[in-house]
Amino acid sequence: MRRAVASDHFAGWAFVTPGVVIILLFGAVPIVWSAVMSFQRNNLLSPSTPFVGLANYKQMVHDPIVAQAIQHTLIYTALFVPGTMVVGLFLAVAMNRKIRFISFYRTAAYATMAISTISEAIVFIWLFDPSYGVVNYFFSLVGIPQQQFLNSPSEALYVIVAMTIWGWTGFSVVIYLAALQGIPQTLLEAASIDGAGPWRTFRRITLPLLSPASLFLAVWLTINALQLFDEVYLSTQGGPLNATTVLVYYLYNQAFQQFNFGYASAIAYFLFLVIIVVTVIQFRVGKRFTYYRS
Amino acid sequence: MTKHRRRGTTAVLLTALTAATVALAGCGSDSGGGNAASSGPIQIWEGFTGTEAKTFSHLVSEYEAQHPGQKVSSLYVNNDDTLQKVLTAVRGGSPPDIAYLYGSWAPNVAEIPQVVDLTQVVKQPGVDWNDFWTGERAVATVNGKVIGIPALVDNLAVVYNKTLFAKAHLAVPGPNWTWQQFVADAQKLTDPAIKQYGTAYVTPGTEDTVWHWEALLWEAGGQLLSADNKTAAFDSAAGLTSLETLRTMAVTDKSMYLDPTDSAYGNLFNSGKIGMLVTGPWDLSSFPNVHYGVQIMPSYPGSSGGHQTISGPDNWVIFNNGSAHVSAAEQFLLWLTAPAQVKYFSLQTGDLPTRQSVAQQASVSTQMNAALPGVSTFVANLGNVEQARPQIPQYPKISQILGTMIVSVLLGQSQPQAALASAAQQVNQALAG
Repeated sequence: MRRAVASDHFAGWAFVTPGVVIILLFGAVPIVWSAVMSFQRNNLLSPSTPFVGLANYKQMVHDPIVAQAIQHTLIYTALFVPGTMVVGLFLAVAMNRKIRFISFYRTAAYATMAISTISEAIVFIWLFDPSYGVVNYFFSLVGIPQQQFLNSPSEALYVIVAMTIWGWTGFSVVIYLAALQGIPQTLLEAASIDGAGPWRTFRRITLPLLSPASLFLAVWLTINALQLFDEVYLSTQGGPLNATTVLVYYLYNQAFQQFNFGYASAIAYFLFLVIIVVTVIQFRVGKRFTYYRS
Repeated sequence: MTKHRRRGTTAVLLTALTAATVALAGCGSDSGGGNAASSGPIQIWEGFTGTEAKTFSHLVSEYEAQHPGQKVSSLYVNNDDTLQKVLTAVRGGSPPDIAYLYGSWAPNVAEIPQVVDLTQVVKQPGVDWNDFWTGERAVATVNGKVIGIPALVDNLAVVYNKTLFAKAHLAVPGPNWTWQQFVADAQKLTDPAIKQYGTAYVTPGTEDTVWHWEALLWEAGGQLLSADNKTAAFDSAAGLTSLETLRTMAVTDKSMYLDPTDSAYGNLFNSGKIGMLVTGPWDLSSFPNVHYGVQIMPSYPGSSGGHQTISGPDNWVIFNNGSAHVSAAEQFLLWLTAPAQVKYFSLQTGDLPTRQSVAQQASVSTQMNAALPGVSTFVANLGNVEQARPQIPQYPKISQILGTMIVSVLLGQSQPQAALASAAQQVNQALAG
């Protein structure tokens, strides 16, 4: 008996070991190493990597671009997360019914997830081109003044918000659709027998039952929003005049363009802390508004 | 700078893994050079694609045929990512023997201890180091030490749309033209009704924004930094002239299409929407739909600068994997960059000859121009490369400050004088720190 247990244990460990080793190598080691680097002056080029204590962290406090990057990251997150959830919820509700070609619509909505970021960025660059873009053309038809979009420090970030909401809509549609189909018909019927109209049913029955999905989406999208990089890299490279420089883009800039790997690691650790804090808050607050059926 | 148009999505992924890359790079042994492996083929990392790749591999096999016992194994690496990968490999103790690295990285590359000092090598008889262009030698040399051999060279000139010039009843640019003419032509070529612009400028605020302006600064007789690279020198009359030129077109005349994406301008020129473009030879093949001409950069009359241009040469850099590998790598590179091979490579690919003796052969220029119209002007323009960007490790930081300065002027957010003063102050800080 003991032998069997032991060999089961052995087999179990044997199965998980390769995975554990890979996770440790590619997960834990870099986490520790970048923590070490955040206390060094390190350009990865020169072998001299003196420890500088908290200098990298102190530098962040005095770096005006870090302050701007934090501000842009927060504005972006505050617009992107609710935006994606509302658009996704609207489309999911619209598609949660039996109409013709429904599977076509559902596939189409998810297609935004399947399209690579690079194509997405190129399409949006042309849509929002100040001189040749379709958006300004429509604006001219209805008498809205022509906008500079990606050329304007006050507008570029919002173009990126629009771009990424479009890109992530498919994801929130899929999550909400799945959640909507998990709502028991009996509850909806009971509500309508009790005389609740469609809006009231949605407000009182559907929305609360969707709350676990909403919490999941809020957390997931927030983490992604705080790590925004690809769209910025592909469309504006942080410009114009740092207007779209978000934390991860600045980190990239410091590490791979300026060779300040120590400073970049400090920024990465700061971002890591922000993500932990935000996520914990979201779970705490979310608990109050989330309704889990048992 | 060469062929920066290619952007690797891999860079995006890599960045997401910044911490991972960085950390893995660190956990290898730091011993670096002098590995036991003294035999075996030499490893070369290059970023050639298409015709360039075919031509390069042909040259490699020719070398192997001519040098029995020598083996060269080449690995494709996206040029934009090579330095990151080299850094990782250096930390892991297994750098390639040779890597193709952008010239703009040279001052930073020079800090890597495993980089082989080629100062004595290029003095060997038969190498004829001075046959390489001034701009190339400047970028391959850091603090008097030669760290690379020129691999590719380019420069900026004006590509113009002949059809649009004819429609506007304008004489096409001549070799003695001036920036005043450029500005006036740009204005006449602009027609908001049909969304046609006189010229374009890339405004992501990166080095691509900056080097276009640096050519103007030099032509106006200015310098970026003092001779000892200790202080900013661009807050000068020349700095003001060059920024005013750009401001007139972007803000006053609105004759300049501003491209924050660094990618739209090429398509627009090829669609006949832009009259003149300051760009390099790599763009020529993407303009099949327009009837274009090429002219050297205009000058500022009265300035000592004359007609200049800027070049973004790239280097072959050797890493120390033991003396046997180093000497094999040196031998291969000297063969690869000898006139015969340079000539073959240029004729096959349309890339500008890295050696003056090759460029000066009339037949080379003619043959290249037949394959790629206009390229002969770029070949001749190599002679106008008189200076190089400062070869100091702080350059990436300086470039960023200058990028912001130029974009803020082009967007009408600040006046040239104030922008120059503020940028100069920041550059001085960066140089002092």
